[in-house]
Amino acid sequence: MSDLDRQIEQLKRCEPLKESEVKALCLKAIEILVEESNVQRVDAPVTICGDIHGQFYDMKELFKVGGDCPKTNYLFLGDFVDRGFYSVETFLLLLALKVRYPDRITLIRGNHESRQITQVYGFYDECLRKYGSVNVWRYCTDIFDYLSLSALIENKIFSVHGGLSPAISTLDQIRTIDRKQEVPHDGAMCDLLWSDPEDIVDGWGLSPRGAGFLFGGSVVTSFNHSNNIDYICRAHQLVMEGYKWMFNNQIVTVWSAPNYCYRCGNVAAILELDGNLNKQFRVFDAAPQESRGAPAKKPAPDYFL
Amino acid sequence: MELEVDENDLKAAGAVIFVDGGRRSINIHGWLIESRRHSILNSSTVQEWEKKLKTSHLPEMVFGENTLILKHLNSGTKIHFNAFDALCGWKQEALPPVEVPAAAKWKFRSKPFEEVILDYDYTFTTPYCGSGAIEIDKDLNGRKISEETGNVHWEDCKEQIDLIALASKEPILFYDEVVLYEDELADNGVSLLTVKVRVMPSSWFLLLQFWLRVDGVLIRLRETRMHYVFGGSTNPVVLRESCWRESTFQALSAKGHPFDSAAYNDPSIISQKLPIVKRTTQKLVISS
Repeated sequence: MSDLDRQIEQLKRCEPLKESEVKALCLKAIEILVEESNVQRVDAPVTICGDIHGQFYDMKELFKVGGDCPKTNYLFLGDFVDRGFYSVETFLLLLALKVRYPDRITLIRGNHESRQITQVYGFYDECLRKYGSVNVWRYCTDIFDYLSLSALIENKIFSVHGGLSPAISTLDQIRTIDRKQEVPHDGAMCDLLWSDPEDIVDGWGLSPRGAGFLFGGSVVTSFNHSNNIDYICRAHQLVMEGYKWMFNNQIVTVWSAPNYCYRCGNVAAILELDGNLNKQFRVFDAAPQESRGAPAKKPAPDYFL
Repeated sequence: MELEVDENDLKAAGAVIFVDGGRRSINIHGWLIESRRHSILNSSTVQEWEKKLKTSHLPEMVFGENTLILKHLNSGTKIHFNAFDALCGWKQEALPPVEVPAAAKWKFRSKPFEEVILDYDYTFTTPYCGSGAIEIDKDLNGRKISEETGNVHWEDCKEQIDLIALASKEPILFYDEVVLYEDELADNGVSLLTVKVRVMPSSWFLLLQFWLRVDGVLIRLRETRMHYVFGGSTNPVVLRESCWRESTFQALSAKGHPFDSAAYNDPSIISQKLPIVKRTTQKLVISS
């Protein structure tokens, strides 16, 4: 058994790698990722997965439902880290699979794959807690800069973490972005990772936060038409039912973190496409408590005031 | 959040606990205190709520069936907490939106054709401090039904919640924390409305908390505490104290506190650093 296969087995048991192993793994991953296009070509059959957010044991449920990699070809739409308890193990397992089977798993970048966001929402603290230093966080966030921004399945299905950008009308415009950087606060790259479809606008909308685009049905229609694609598949927003079509089946949101934050009670979904691009959504629940390693501890009495 | 409770403590207090799925309750000194915890609303119920509330936006996670109910059985006085009433308060208060730091840069971006600017209060700030009613249980051909016969009446008062008594470590017989709604502000912070309750042999105490952090901009903490002492005077009262605190990140850092959002994850730790903007103390007399 090679070192890499042993590491994959170890990560599947939710045991993190040594710091030196993470460093070596990341160096190999960069060699692969640097070659990928901003619009990475993906062949069908493929199974598309949305946000995971460090919910390692629920991702194992996902692989149970969808089949193991490399037998199943996977496309993950980003947001591997933050919020859940096991961002380290989750991201490293996906990355190790990428290095081992580069043609059978595609990872694209979500808005949480960023230095700034991970410092607020959990991944940074988790690395510090599990390794006693932030080196692993540094290696991983350096990898984030190399992750592709989108994928194109059989030239027919465009996949991205967030959504569209008013600065982008063709896929070629995405191809020209210099992606090897921290996610910027504005511009096309930011929009692809952050924007949301919105029912109450038809064209473009601006979030009440003063930053963040919302796009309506006519924006999606014209994007799909000018790029000759059937529909857009994206993630980024929690959906109680695991997936949600909008704008007359022109865009679908796929959400793959069941019982999000361990309390929402939502189901998760993955989208399986066969060789002819026929769709099947597979909906699944969170992993049962007994399969989650350590049992949930009884909390100490909370004398809140 | 199952708490391990000593059976002897329960017996000594004359209390009984029921657990049934997401419902947990304690019957103690004439009060029935019940919490219910369920999943977030599904898409179709979200749409119904949007219609009822006349809005096109609700928090990402609405725990619409979650509730905490405290009912004084003899008088029919019922105090309860739910997301719907809290969101009615949000709609009514309708604060103007708060701009995130990136907004300054976005003002210089080229505008897409016919851009619509949304302007609802995406922080879901609410003045909610609980719901109340007088509710009489009736026996209707063997079926028990509850009928609302009036409102509860809170009056301003000078008495204060005895925090020193509450700091004593008497056993907790019943504890729960119920989330009413939560929103991640699209990864620009957090908006979270929760209520937690603890019941001891001598009293019950609860804390309703609206916690808002808009990263790099604003922290807002609106808390309501209620306390009821069992078997005290002949005219027992529930005391209610509301305290609203708020500060910008800028003001915090000017006072030497950190500027980064990661330092502000736990409201209980930073609440004392936030200046008070409003405070009220009220009581509700429980008629016997």
